Amino acid sequence: MTRRVRLESLGTSWPRRGPWKGGSLRHAVDAGRRCLAASKYNPADVRVIVNAGVHRDEHVCEPAIAAYVQHGLGVNVEFQGRRTLAFDLLNGGCGMLSAVHVVSSLVLAGEADVGMVVASEANSDRRPDPGWTYPSSGAAALLDVSPRRAAGFGAFAFLTREEHADLYTSVVSLALPRGRLLLRRKAGLEDAWLAMARPVFDEALAREGIGRDEVGLVVPAQISASFVRRLPEVLELPPEKIFDIAQRLPDTLTTSTFLALDAARREGRTSAGTNTVLMAFGSGITAGAAVYRE
Amino acid sequence: MKPKIRIESLGIRLPEKRMSTEELMRTCRRRPRLDLERITGIRERRVAEGEFAADLAIGAARRAMELSRHRAEDLDVVVCTSISKHNAPDEFGFEPATAVLVRKAIGAKRALVFDVVNACAGMLNGIWVVQGLIRAGVAKCGLVVSGEHNMPLARTAAREVRHSLDRQLAALTLGDCGAAVVLDASPDERHGFHWLDLVTGAKHDHYCYSKPSRRGPGGMLITEAVGLQRKGAEHFPYYLKQAVDGSGWCMDDIQHVIPHQVSVRAIRRGVREVGAFLRCDMPDFYLSSAEKYANTTTTSHFLVIHDHVLSGRIRSGDNLLLVSGASGIVITHATYTFDDLPDRYRAKWGQP
Repeated sequence: MTRRVRLESLGTSWPRRGPWKGGSLRHAVDAGRRCLAASKYNPADVRVIVNAGVHRDEHVCEPAIAAYVQHGLGVNVEFQGRRTLAFDLLNGGCGMLSAVHVVSSLVLAGEADVGMVVASEANSDRRPDPGWTYPSSGAAALLDVSPRRAAGFGAFAFLTREEHADLYTSVVSLALPRGRLLLRRKAGLEDAWLAMARPVFDEALAREGIGRDEVGLVVPAQISASFVRRLPEVLELPPEKIFDIAQRLPDTLTTSTFLALDAARREGRTSAGTNTVLMAFGSGITAGAAVYRE
Repeated sequence: MKPKIRIESLGIRLPEKRMSTEELMRTCRRRPRLDLERITGIRERRVAEGEFAADLAIGAARRAMELSRHRAEDLDVVVCTSISKHNAPDEFGFEPATAVLVRKAIGAKRALVFDVVNACAGMLNGIWVVQGLIRAGVAKCGLVVSGEHNMPLARTAAREVRHSLDRQLAALTLGDCGAAVVLDASPDERHGFHWLDLVTGAKHDHYCYSKPSRRGPGGMLITEAVGLQRKGAEHFPYYLKQAVDGSGWCMDDIQHVIPHQVSVRAIRRGVREVGAFLRCDMPDFYLSSAEKYANTTTTSHFLVIHDHVLSGRIRSGDNLLLVSGASGIVITHATYTFDDLPDRYRAKWGQP
């Protein structure tokens, strides 16, 4: 029987009310600190840090933002003793779930024993693009091999429909000093994502070898209130099995699924032994689903 | 025992247009009083015209798939590792991931797609990730690809460089190139990656960074070259020794060392540092193509392999040591033994 990788701890930096001067990196480091504080591991134990956040302060593209996060968290920052690798993984709104998949694989392959996935989003432009609707936030997850075979991440499934890639694009225009983030969402994006939700959900369940009735809770990215409201019908599940906090948590891009999971855990909606399905949707356009057992 | 991962196929997309260092320096608004060609040893570079980072990546991926025994639709994962995502004039694309564009162009219909970005260590980092996916049983074969359209950074530097100690000078040592490798599990234990290790010393993350310029349009690359090279030189020989030891090799077993192609002068300095650390004379096994292709960032190691396989210097069965230093600071070492890829590559792309 195969081993599983678990969420050893989860740290979040929720959107702040009122004026907030911190940027994307501050959210990432805050979430990372909380994650490490809740963990039984020492910071020096973290072998790999992957940053999956798309939008970064001042649109920095080099070095990896993960290196700044590593520095901020004080994880093996000097070339001595234990070592850490930090790199970025970009896959739009599915980035954090993709990074969890990659780090889980690295842990299972023995390339790393403890890995951290961190993501954060903020727009540091003086005049943000009107298309920017994401409140700034951060999330971090620490992953290790689960001591019990029954608990942890099971199957992952990702589906990309590149023919719809132009439905969602984000670029930094370099025509002006300091650059400006331009976000373009076309009509029909949510419908396209919803059309992918069922196949990717079914594929994850099939790979895991469980039926729809064995799913305890679905935690989707909180794309919008109408999007989450339509999921029960698409997935053919009762509405109480879809975790819906879209009214109080607007879409936060890469961090959305894990902020929602944090809320579901706090509200006691996930329990030991039940299957939770995490779902993310992003550019590409890509949909992802992962089965997790607490 | 973990299976070894091999480079099953290689593809390089090198733009046709050449630009000499002298021509590039002539475009500087305030030409610094230094002989960049003499200091760096970089004579010329290739410049992409009418194509962008994603096009270079797609071109390289297509060439890699032409030589590969795998079909594009069999690829389980496509990872794009470009730093420069200049996919349109004056634009830097974050979404969708460039890997999505590559997947679409080559028809890798069922591949997982995402970008891995880790400055100049990107391609080796992508290989490390795909190695993990193959060893975990998530993938059987994968494509790691990068398209570097770096010349927009050089053009910003040409506009903004003010003096001969300007921190944007390093951007004038860049060139354009695309590279791709197809990876799978090696059927022979003797071939493939024996050691692939990356480490980030994040305390030194301030020595090199890239972001939009504050003074005008375009992106800029800021490098404190002296500090970066000093810190790198201080630490990398230890990791190099560890890679050689961990592979069960000694320096006599290595046919070629491929350093990151920052500049000819920096490579010579690195050789001296390694010699001093190991307290031994270093054989002349360092390969360089920086003089004619400049620093093509993530793709540089694979461009050197392309160049020296075609020249006949790298042969099937040769042992390689790849050394990379990237902003972060990321120090990377890999030891690798070729299967018959050099012979197949020469037969496919070499001069008749």
